[in-house]
Amino acid sequence: MESMVTRFYKAVSNGKIYGVKCRKCGHFTFPPKAGCMKCGAHDMEWKLISGEGKLQFFSSGNLPPMKFAKYHPYAYGAVELKEGPCFFTCIEGLDVSNVEALEAQNAKMPMKVKAKIKRMADLDIVIFKVEK
Amino acid sequence: MAYVGNLKEKPVITGVGCTKFGSVLTTPEIKGLGFQELVCTAAFEAMDDSGIDPKDIDAFYIGSMLSHSSHLYSHNTQMADWLGLHLKPAIHFATACSTTNTGAGLAAMSIASGKFRNVLVIGCDILSSAATDNPTIRKPTDPTTLWYWTDFGVDQAYGYHHAYDVATAYGGLPTLGYAKKHHIKMSKMDEAMREIHRTVKLHASRNKKAYVQTTFEQDAKKAGFKDDAEFWTSRKNPFLAWPARARSVLNTVDGASAYIISSESQAKQFCDKEPISIEGFHWSASNYPWYGKDPTDWAIDNTTFETAMKMAGITAKDIDYLSVHDCMQIYHLIESEICGYFKKGEAWKAVMEGRTRYDGDKPMNTSGGKHGKGHAFSASAGADFYEAVKQMRGEAKGRQIKDAPEVSVVHNHGYGMHSAVTVLKR
Ligand SMILES: [Zn+2]
Repeated sequence: MESMVTRFYKAVSNGKIYGVKCRKCGHFTFPPKAGCMKCGAHDMEWKLISGEGKLQFFSSGNLPPMKFAKYHPYAYGAVELKEGPCFFTCIEGLDVSNVEALEAQNAKMPMKVKAKIKRMADLDIVIFKVEK
Repeated sequence: MAYVGNLKEKPVITGVGCTKFGSVLTTPEIKGLGFQELVCTAAFEAMDDSGIDPKDIDAFYIGSMLSHSSHLYSHNTQMADWLGLHLKPAIHFATACSTTNTGAGLAAMSIASGKFRNVLVIGCDILSSAATDNPTIRKPTDPTTLWYWTDFGVDQAYGYHHAYDVATAYGGLPTLGYAKKHHIKMSKMDEAMREIHRTVKLHASRNKKAYVQTTFEQDAKKAGFKDDAEFWTSRKNPFLAWPARARSVLNTVDGASAYIISSESQAKQFCDKEPISIEGFHWSASNYPWYGKDPTDWAIDNTTFETAMKMAGITAKDIDYLSVHDCMQIYHLIESEICGYFKKGEAWKAVMEGRTRYDGDKPMNTSGGKHGKGHAFSASAGADFYEAVKQMRGEAKGRQIKDAPEVSVVHNHGYGMHSAVTVLKR
C-alpha cells in the first residue's frame, strides 16, 4: 500500500491538492484518509479539490506550536470546502493586528476563500486566501 | 443513535482518592514526589475511603498521558509492587484527558462481566517537570515543550502541520460561535465569560485540593483594581485567542486521582459509605477537528450524553449536579446545553445569575474545574469523579450543594478529541 500521507504532500508540492471520495457512498474526505467518515467503507478515489471554500470563523492565538512560532501572529480559521468537509488552517489576507479588526471581519462571515499552497515550517501545506 | 448496551450487574464506586493538584517542584503538599508516590497517595486514599482490604482488589487500571514527563511506560508493571498489588492483573490505558472517566466504564464492564469483584482505577500526570536519568532529579518543563508533547494527540498526519493553533480552535472559535449563534454582543459575551470565571475561582477557593486558592475578587484587589470588571478587561488578562482570555483557560498541574469500583454485593461487605452506582456511560472518538462550521455543535458530545443518559434511564431533568470538561471555560455553556441541563442559548444567562455556583439551583464543576482545581491530564477526570462522589455523599465541606445530589453526570474530553460521559446515582 502506498503511503497516502506521502502522496498527499508530494502532490501539494507539485501544485495539486487532493481529497478522497468514497466509492460506496460518495462522501468526500479532506485531507485524504483510508476510511470513509460517513459509511466506514475503505474504497476511496483520489479527487482534486476545487480549492473553493467559505471561511466560517477565524481568530489568532498567542500559543502557536514551536514550529509555527516564527509566523505568529497569523490568522487561523475554519474553511468549509465546496466539496463539504471543514478544514482548519492558516488564512491569508486578514488583519489580525487588533481585536477591533478581528471582530469587524468575523461579522462579515462567511467569506469566500481560495486554496493556496505555501511552504510553512519546511513543509508545503494547504492554506486559504481571502478572495477580494 | 449509538448502541446503548446494559450491564448485567450494578457496579458501584466504593472509594475515591485524589492528591492536592499543583506542582511537585513548589506545592508544599506534593513537593518532591515522583510518579510512583503521587499514584500511591491517591490510590491509598481511595482504598482507605472504601474500607477494602487491598487483598480483595482483583485488578487495577492505570492511566497516564505524557510518557515524556513521567519517563516511564508499562505503568502497570512498575506500579504493581508500589501499590501492594503484586501479581494482580493490571493494564495501562489512556484516552488522554478523559482517561479516568473512560476508566469507570472499563471497570464497570469488568465488574458486570463477573470476572473481577473490585477494580482500582488510577490516573496520574506530572506536567510541571520531567523525570531524568537520575530518579532523584526532575527538570522543569517550559510551556512550549509541554505543548509540543501534548500536541502529539492532535492529527499528526495533517491537522497539526497546517498551522495548528490550539487557543483558537479550542477557545476562540467556540466562544465566538456561541456568541454568534445566540446573538450575544461580544462585550456581553466577555461579561458572561468573566462570571463563569468568578464561579470557577469561588469553587477553587473552597477546595483545599485545588491548585488555585484565591477568589477572582481577591486577585483583582491584589492587582490593584477596585473594580473587578476592569481587571477582567485589563492587560493583566489578555486574549489568548480572541475572544477567549487567559483566565478562561486551564492551568496545567501535577496530580493523581483514583477510585475503586466494586460489585454491589461486594460493597455491602466492606464499605460503610453510601455506594455510588455507575448507571450509564458512553464514549466517542473523533480525529481533529471535531467540529465544522458551527463551533458549538459537537457530535462527539451529542452522542455520549444521549447514549449514557439513555443507558442510565434518565433525562436532563434528573441531573442534580453536572461536571463538564472545562479546559476552556466556554465549555460550561456549550456542554450544559448539549446535555439539556440548560435550554439552548440559556446557559450564559444562568451563569450571570450565579445559578451554577455550589449554592445555586443548577450547580456545576464545584471543585474549581480545570483552571481552579487545575488540569493534570489523565488524573483530571478522576478528580471530577472525586468531587461528584463527595458531593453525593454530603462530604464536600465548604462548598457542599444544599441537597446532596442524587444523580450526577460527569463529562470529560480527551485531547484530539475523545468524549466520555458517566452517569452516577446514589
Ligand atoms: Zn462512504
